Amino acid sequence: MSMIPREEWDKYPDVEITLNVNGKDYKVKVKPYERLLDVLRYKLGFTGVKEGCGRGECGACVVLMDGKLVPSCLVLAVRANGSKILTVEGLAPEGKLHAIQKALLDTYAVQCGFCFPGVILAIKALLDRNPNPTDEEVKDALSGQLCRCGSYLRFIKAVKLAAQYIREGKEYFDESEVRG
Amino acid sequence: MVYIPRFNVYIPKDVSDALNALSQRKDLIPMGGGSDLLVLIRSGIVKADTVLDLWPLRKELAYIKRENGTVRIGALTTVSELCESDLIKDVRYAGLADVCKKFSTPFIRNIATVGGNVGAAHPLSDIALMLLVLNGKVKLLSKNGERTVDITKFFKGKRQTVRNHDEIIAEVSFTETPPNSSTAFIKFDRRWGHAMGYVLVGAYMQLRNNVIEDVRIAFDSMGNPYPERAWKTEEFLKEKEFSDEVIKQALNDVLPKEMKRITDYRASAEYRLDLSKVLLRRALLKIKSRIEGGD
Amino acid sequence: MSELPEYVRIVEEIFDKYKDKEFLYVGKRIQRWDAVEKVKGRILFTADFAKYYRNAVFVYSVRTKYAHARIKSIDISEAQRYPGVLRVITAKDIPGVNDVGYVIPDQPLLVSDKARYIGDIIALIVAEDPNVAREAGELIKVDYEKLPVITDPLQVVDLRTLKEKEHPLIHEERGSDIVAHFKIRKGDVKKAFDEADVVVEGEYRTPFQEHAYMEPEAAIALPEADGGVTIIATTQCPFDVRKAVAKVLGITQNKVRVIVPAVGGGFGGKEDVANELGAKAALAALMTGRPAVVIHSREESIIGHSKRHPMRAWYRHAAKRDGTLLAVEANIVFDTGAYASLGPFVAWRATVHATGPYKVEAARVDTLSVYTNNVYAGAFRGFGCPQTAFAIEMQMDALAEELGMDPVDLRLKNILREGDRTVHGQLLTKDHGVGLEEAILKAVEASKWYEKRKLFSKQSGTLRKGIGIGLLWHGNSIGVEGADYSSATLIINRDGSITFRVGLIDMGQGSQWGMVLIASEILGVPPSYFRVEQPDTAATPDSGPTVASRSTVMGGAAVVNAAYKLRQRLNKVASTLLGCDPGDVEIRAPDVYCRSDPKKKVSWNDVVEQSFWLGIPLQEFGYFRAPPAEWDEETGQGAPYITYTFGAIIAEVTVDLETGGVKVDRMVTAYDIGKVINRVGAELHAEGGAIQGLGYALMEEVVHNKDAYVMNANLSTYYIPTIHDAPDEIIPIFVEAKYRRGPFGAKGLGEPSINGIAPAIVNAVRHATGLKFYSIPLTPEKVYMALKRAGKTPL
Repeated sequence: MSMIPREEWDKYPDVEITLNVNGKDYKVKVKPYERLLDVLRYKLGFTGVKEGCGRGECGACVVLMDGKLVPSCLVLAVRANGSKILTVEGLAPEGKLHAIQKALLDTYAVQCGFCFPGVILAIKALLDRNPNPTDEEVKDALSGQLCRCGSYLRFIKAVKLAAQYIREGKEYFDESEVRG
Repeated sequence: MVYIPRFNVYIPKDVSDALNALSQRKDLIPMGGGSDLLVLIRSGIVKADTVLDLWPLRKELAYIKRENGTVRIGALTTVSELCESDLIKDVRYAGLADVCKKFSTPFIRNIATVGGNVGAAHPLSDIALMLLVLNGKVKLLSKNGERTVDITKFFKGKRQTVRNHDEIIAEVSFTETPPNSSTAFIKFDRRWGHAMGYVLVGAYMQLRNNVIEDVRIAFDSMGNPYPERAWKTEEFLKEKEFSDEVIKQALNDVLPKEMKRITDYRASAEYRLDLSKVLLRRALLKIKSRIEGGD
Repeated sequence: MSELPEYVRIVEEIFDKYKDKEFLYVGKRIQRWDAVEKVKGRILFTADFAKYYRNAVFVYSVRTKYAHARIKSIDISEAQRYPGVLRVITAKDIPGVNDVGYVIPDQPLLVSDKARYIGDIIALIVAEDPNVAREAGELIKVDYEKLPVITDPLQVVDLRTLKEKEHPLIHEERGSDIVAHFKIRKGDVKKAFDEADVVVEGEYRTPFQEHAYMEPEAAIALPEADGGVTIIATTQCPFDVRKAVAKVLGITQNKVRVIVPAVGGGFGGKEDVANELGAKAALAALMTGRPAVVIHSREESIIGHSKRHPMRAWYRHAAKRDGTLLAVEANIVFDTGAYASLGPFVAWRATVHATGPYKVEAARVDTLSVYTNNVYAGAFRGFGCPQTAFAIEMQMDALAEELGMDPVDLRLKNILREGDRTVHGQLLTKDHGVGLEEAILKAVEASKWYEKRKLFSKQSGTLRKGIGIGLLWHGNSIGVEGADYSSATLIINRDGSITFRVGLIDMGQGSQWGMVLIASEILGVPPSYFRVEQPDTAATPDSGPTVASRSTVMGGAAVVNAAYKLRQRLNKVASTLLGCDPGDVEIRAPDVYCRSDPKKKVSWNDVVEQSFWLGIPLQEFGYFRAPPAEWDEETGQGAPYITYTFGAIIAEVTVDLETGGVKVDRMVTAYDIGKVINRVGAELHAEGGAIQGLGYALMEEVVHNKDAYVMNANLSTYYIPTIHDAPDEIIPIFVEAKYRRGPFGAKGLGEPSINGIAPAIVNAVRHATGLKFYSIPLTPEKVYMALKRAGKTPL
């Protein structure tokens, strides 16, 4: 995770990779051992991707990579070369909120917010393949997302609500609708 | 922030490129999904010079094939792919569906590979455990050719397999089981979600007219730090009537003779042994109800 | 009335004025100010700021190899030469005082003579690449002389005699490893036990609990040109970080600026650890002249910050045949680990609450806090109360069983009601607000207690249901721990928008929002007009630390003061514009009108603009100080807290007799919080506290081996509840027995929301199995083994 490349690190030569993040292409030089997490956060500025444990045990760092939910702390940046990444920042166009985000607001689930990016993407991964999940299916899909503030029961309600919004054709909401 | 030990990565073009590299270089460690190896490297347990990224080999080694009475699963099939396949919908392999339900977390399943789970040789390797009861075989490839090893002979020690340094696990396979059979897998821990498990049990059973024609049982540990079969218990149960008394006898008289449990900070040996009995009984009952139709 | 300070008078005036009013904002569900930023993932937490600094350096902490060892020498030469290393910092480089202890100066930032626990830091490596820093760390050579390791507090003191035992001292410089000793001596305890009809005795045990907030600790320090430093840190106590860093650097406090962005969970764990991170980052920043980043890994977090104190307690209760409690005796030992942290305060609070929310005529309580070589224990939501509540509520259920009484009936017979005196002799009046009975009755009704208690007693099969109760009480704010004050600033800007500045932080609980709702209500202005500024020691006032469930009660009272005074001035200005009495002015921004003649109307902006022209200041600093607490050191008599939050928790569980597995099906959590201010916040506390308490009850414990290494320093071996573990239903009930000196009568809920959870769950398992339990976490193994020994396992 270097901010400035240095010559003595030629032992681990830079690799140039291309990532498509939230619809835009980025060319970035990475070290072979560098994590996708750090590239997204510090090199490309997508700090919506969080680090909670660095071991794939908390779910805070998940992103959608080619449509699949993956723990960015356990994906090497060089492996992600050429893939399409979706982070929470790319979920909705500027000025809009995705149904999942609106549902989390409507169910008043927000506490510290640290687990939210991961939870939101895990919900997206779920609804993408199962638009009408049961409570059990919701719990299975969110089983890897830890929330210490304890908003779990609200997440379950929010998923059902988001699914309903999407079924009604409301995938996006204007941000101005929710700002008081 | 986890401090990342530095290493290089070799990205092969295909299987033969990877095997070539492995045969020439001593410093390569193959990496499947990365969910196991990267954590080991970052904890300092494994020192890696160069990691051989097996992901590009998915185009050759990620598949689930059923042909000529054999099920063949490519080593780089992700656990998710296995869990979304039609294979696990077959009632005979419902035990694999049980594994899927409790395997780590959804996002780990998307990167963890079947080959990685077998290669980890860890008592908590769920898929390896199920392959034990399915009489699975492991195919190893090297530059010099291939060899197939019975999974019962694949593990030799804690995180140690018979895989040579220049080999990769290419495929696991098992013979399709008869129609009057099924499988089950149960894992129990102190929390209900995302748990490693104090005790893992996998079982296969074949019933005809309530007689146990064949049975195979594996636990996370029988005394060694890797999954193994409960041979004596299987022997006892074979050809007997599936009844409460028979099961109880097997659990109370036979299993304790071949199972040695350890006490560690997570659980005591006594509890693990008792839990093994309880879970085995539940697994066998589940298989019976699956064979008789209706889960 | 006249000797009351003005700030108390104002709070009481507002209380009286609004007692029976309909509220516009207070008590309503209103979305918090930062909710949209949080769902968008745009809000920045401390570590996120690192992306802005191009030439940052990273600080790696080299920690001791042994938990208890003398350090003979430290050789940093090889590490210094490692390519990429900019500085290696050891204790002798510290310009000021090498100490970051919160209550007692017993905790060096960098150790040089002795290591007392596995997290002690030997040296800091500063490099541009964190990996390089870590690699260089392996080259630090330390000459250790190993010392015997103490992992059991009962190696330090005897639980029955409370005498210190012969043992290798961990803090030799103090001459003793007993950090604190608090007592209650009331009435004639011996007589009570001699005359009792029933005596129940038990030894109880609770574990180290880890906060496991999702955001690991982080701090970024920016060197300032005048030798000062600006620190961005994830902390609950920015002003304490400022104090600690200034002390370490040897500079004045006004040269240290601490800014607190969004914090990803705190629960008490971020009260003192930021002193360490802030100091580490500041040293590196000032020595290199570059921004310095410290981010702890999850493992460092688990090992390196305070935990919940484990408790070993011996309790004895004496009662009459009709259930009346006669006396309580308790010996309580807290393991505070290697350093005191907030341990002395925890031990004090535990002592105050040690007999439970019951009338107790006679009591003898002794609470000791002792050092060991385990990871250090400090503040964690509840602060000694969850531990004692566990012991007390187990005792109460044991008494109920002994007497053949229903557990709820026994408690109703003994609880504190308005007009009763606490065990400390504090008279609880209507002004305090004593809503415990109402909370119990509502919980009993919502959970169908009596019905289920009967129903679940006749069961068969391997799955058994149980229902159990736990009561709690929690003194609000800090009692005798220090001077209890808070402050807040409200600034109405010229365009009518409002700036809200308070030094209390948000770690998810969002108490600033409650304060905004209070200001909204008093000013008559919608919450959307307010912008909550992030806590910043250079810009927001010192409101005291964000601890002790005090933000709404104390910060809110300060806000009441500020809003009240602003409102008086606005009323005066509006009255000149409208032509009615100031007392007749109604503000419902954007409208301002006369209550008696609503046709006389102007706009909020008119009033604000006019104030500017008239030179009427529209900013106000509100201050509130709690009346000093009273506590006699020898007898524990006095008035330790300004008021108490009360609660009753009822839990329903299903126990699998074959495996010992426990599933919590449902929880009813009833709290008397005086007045609900931020309804969403209160509900989330009830739910979140229930889940965190469930973890404490059933699965959480930090395990040390005999060398005091932590065995489970990651999130797959330290188990916190997942979504699968949460109960199917959590029903929060709020009772409003108003506290006269709280904003609109409000009391705190931050910590009470966890205190009673574990006892309720364990009592429910008791009911399901018919067995007694004496320690948590109540893992499946503990339940199973108890069943096996009692011959109750089916297999």
